Amino acid sequence: MAELPAALEDLIQELSRLPGVGPRTAQRLAFHVLRADRARAEALARAILEVKSRIGYCERCWNIAEEPLCTICRSPRRDPSVICVVESPLDLLAIERTGEYQGLYHVLNGVFSPIEGVGPEDLHVPDLLERARSGVREVILATDADVEGETTAVYIGRALAPLGVAVTRPAHGLPVGGSLEYADERTLARALSARQAF
Amino acid sequence: MRLVSLELRNYRNYARLNLEPATGLNVLLGPNGQGKTNLLESVALLALSSSPRARRESELVGPLGPEARVGALVEGRGRLAEIRIWVRIEAGVTRRRIEVDGLPRRAVDLPGLFRVTLFWPEDLNLIKAGPEHRRRLLNQLLVQVRPGYARALARYGRVLEQRNSLLKRVANGEQPADALDVWDLQLARTGVELVAGRREVMQALAPEAARFHSQISGGEALEVAYEGPPEELLQALHQSRSDDLRRGATGVGPHRDDLSVRLDGADARSFASQGQQRTTVISLKLAEAAVVTALTGERPVLLLDDVLSELDATRRSALLEHLADPGQVIVTSVEADPFPARVIGRSRVWQVRQGRLLPCG
Repeated sequence: MAELPAALEDLIQELSRLPGVGPRTAQRLAFHVLRADRARAEALARAILEVKSRIGYCERCWNIAEEPLCTICRSPRRDPSVICVVESPLDLLAIERTGEYQGLYHVLNGVFSPIEGVGPEDLHVPDLLERARSGVREVILATDADVEGETTAVYIGRALAPLGVAVTRPAHGLPVGGSLEYADERTLARALSARQAF
Repeated sequence: MRLVSLELRNYRNYARLNLEPATGLNVLLGPNGQGKTNLLESVALLALSSSPRARRESELVGPLGPEARVGALVEGRGRLAEIRIWVRIEAGVTRRRIEVDGLPRRAVDLPGLFRVTLFWPEDLNLIKAGPEHRRRLLNQLLVQVRPGYARALARYGRVLEQRNSLLKRVANGEQPADALDVWDLQLARTGVELVAGRREVMQALAPEAARFHSQISGGEALEVAYEGPPEELLQALHQSRSDDLRRGATGVGPHRDDLSVRLDGADARSFASQGQQRTTVISLKLAEAAVVTALTGERPVLLLDDVLSELDATRRSALLEHLADPGQVIVTSVEADPFPARVIGRSRVWQVRQGRLLPCG
């Protein structure tokens, strides 16, 4: 079998390390880059370098940021008395897109998972507790509903309990516009037990 | 409950199969290694979303490509549903995809739509085998009759895995011991769901099993009972923590549950004869089908893999008598011998030869 030039082989190697990219896809992407205009390839390379050199983490909430504080923490319009705890910057974006939330965030950048060696300190929980001590009235625990997300929420909820702030968790329930018939039992049961006055 | 039609593509040794079983008794005959068990397994897959016998899911994929498919039309409560399961191997990773009536369905949410009671030759050792086999009996029954049980079981397994991993990290000083508190809490919370289901289903199963057993054995008293974790699971977890840390594994919880089995008051797990064990297993299996019927209002499809030849005449006829109840049964056998002529006479019979089904009679 003919061997690929080393440079191309290196690119395939690097690409296949990306999440969700298998060896086949990596090959396809590498050949795509090879065939593309030089300008396009340079733009891609530059974008990768830029993202690493310009973007870091917010000193206060661990969201991604181009300055010491992220845009949300810098905004004077946000309500600093409410903190929403999320697993990742992508979850933060999802909540921002609703336009419903005016408070600040705390981004864990992970969940409590002993199997992956992730403990409470890795999630900047002590930072969160520190923040919650000054002028915060509510902390919303918006981690996922899977085992790790739920356990992380329970852990943080217990750590916050002595501080006297309100601790809440987003309701789980029926999707908007969804049909009752297709809801799974667990979701339906939760939605029923969390029903509201109509 | 009825399997209306079954379609296999590249599933183990079946290149392609289209089967329309009869509503009553279906008999698959053929020498060993022809694919009789594989066929029953594919039907079980539709009920449980995972194979009850494959060690790795990739085993299900046949030699004709990277993907196996099981499709079926099933009927329950007069309604038809189409279930499709794909198992695909890609870059060494096996993935399973499930659709019901064309809509994707998570594996934990499939059980309960199509219900079966399985009886494999390995079940004959159920009484003296390890407790995990008796737990499996409970789990296979519960996922099919109790909504949410399959999810609780999966969650419990995940929490247990995390706690065990944390035990090792705490033991070698990587994490503080109080990090365990929240996992104990989660284990207890999820565990309670499993315990509630198991306790409830055993209340239904025990008297049914006793009734069948007394009938078949001519009066022997069978008592099966649920042996669950301590009532206060959270407290029990705290108490076993130091032992757990030493072992690197969780010593209490529903993952250690068992069933106690007593025959005329003596522990069958240690004292039952071969014959007594088999009668007990038949009684448990018939009870299982009866419980599914009672709880869901519909008889499950019975899948019997080559069990009749393992039984003596009395037990065989006891089992066959109950198979005569209205309801669908798929049974495999090496030979037609174990079936009385009157049974064979009103069943649909196939010969299984190298992944092909030939109708006979």
